[in-house]
Amino acid sequence: MTPVPAFVDYEFAGRKELCLCTATRSSRRVLIIPPLFDEMNRMRKMLVDVMLALESLDVASFLPDLPGTNESLVALEQVTLTDWQDAIAACAQQHHISDIASFRGSALAVAALPKARHWIFSPVKGATILRTMLRTRVAADRESGLNTGLADLSAQAETRPIELAGNIIGPELFAQLNAADIPDRENQRIVRLESDNKPADAQIPGSALWLRAEPDDDPAMSSAIARDLAGWMGPQ
Amino acid sequence: MHNKVELTPEAAVRAVMRDILGLSEEQVAEFTAETELFGALPELDSMAVAGLLTELEDRLDIMIEDDEVDGELFETFGNLVAFAEMKVTE
Repeated sequence: MTPVPAFVDYEFAGRKELCLCTATRSSRRVLIIPPLFDEMNRMRKMLVDVMLALESLDVASFLPDLPGTNESLVALEQVTLTDWQDAIAACAQQHHISDIASFRGSALAVAALPKARHWIFSPVKGATILRTMLRTRVAADRESGLNTGLADLSAQAETRPIELAGNIIGPELFAQLNAADIPDRENQRIVRLESDNKPADAQIPGSALWLRAEPDDDPAMSSAIARDLAGWMGPQ
Repeated sequence: MHNKVELTPEAAVRAVMRDILGLSEEQVAEFTAETELFGALPELDSMAVAGLLTELEDRLDIMIEDDEVDGELFETFGNLVAFAEMKVTE
């Protein structure tokens, strides 16, 4: 029978947020933190494929909605990077998970939790994510005859909410992301694509789906991710 | 950790185009200096172009300023490679 993912929830700041999970009774459990902003949309199918592949390796996985994203009822404008870090800590604690896999920008949304182990796929600096989003805003402004620049927009974003590629980002989240660098912790494994020339603990074949103009999947990459992740988690 | 390997500007542009368009290595190897980009490839919308510029900055360790970006840059694959080559020698 094909495994069917189901929704459970976790509580954060007095609200319930959804969390997609594969319904397995395995004691091996991992939290899957999706990429940020539109990279999340482009990679969700790939991540669900990872969850199904993990299930076949007897690993249960949980994919939470971060506050202000996906089905969350909180306005993104109100959310800070600290909220995301606290929400992930709450979800991990409520579902008894200590292994955390993050993808791209979500590596920045995971704080160093006591006893947690971190598996990180193709991490990126917050400033890099924002730069791409600022560029789409500059391009849109130019089409409507406004001559804005990256530096002006960036300065504005630190003082008031700004709309970037369909997301309303508050000044605190903007400033926190802009300063956020790739974590360097003891209990972490960084995995990148074979085509990526940046330092990594392991490389896997696949394509940068976060750059793809339309959302797409890569079943071979999803399997490779699941195998590496399950191997790193080890037997329990 | 594996060491960082240097990429040529042309290889970087080819790799980013491959990722954005979802092409195979063989397909993107067929791109020549005359291959048309803007107008010929509907996938190259403003979001894709924004991602392309940031990826090139990241992979080649360069900074691209607003005023360096115009339509001509994306007319052909050759224009984009020439721009990337010029930026890495700056």
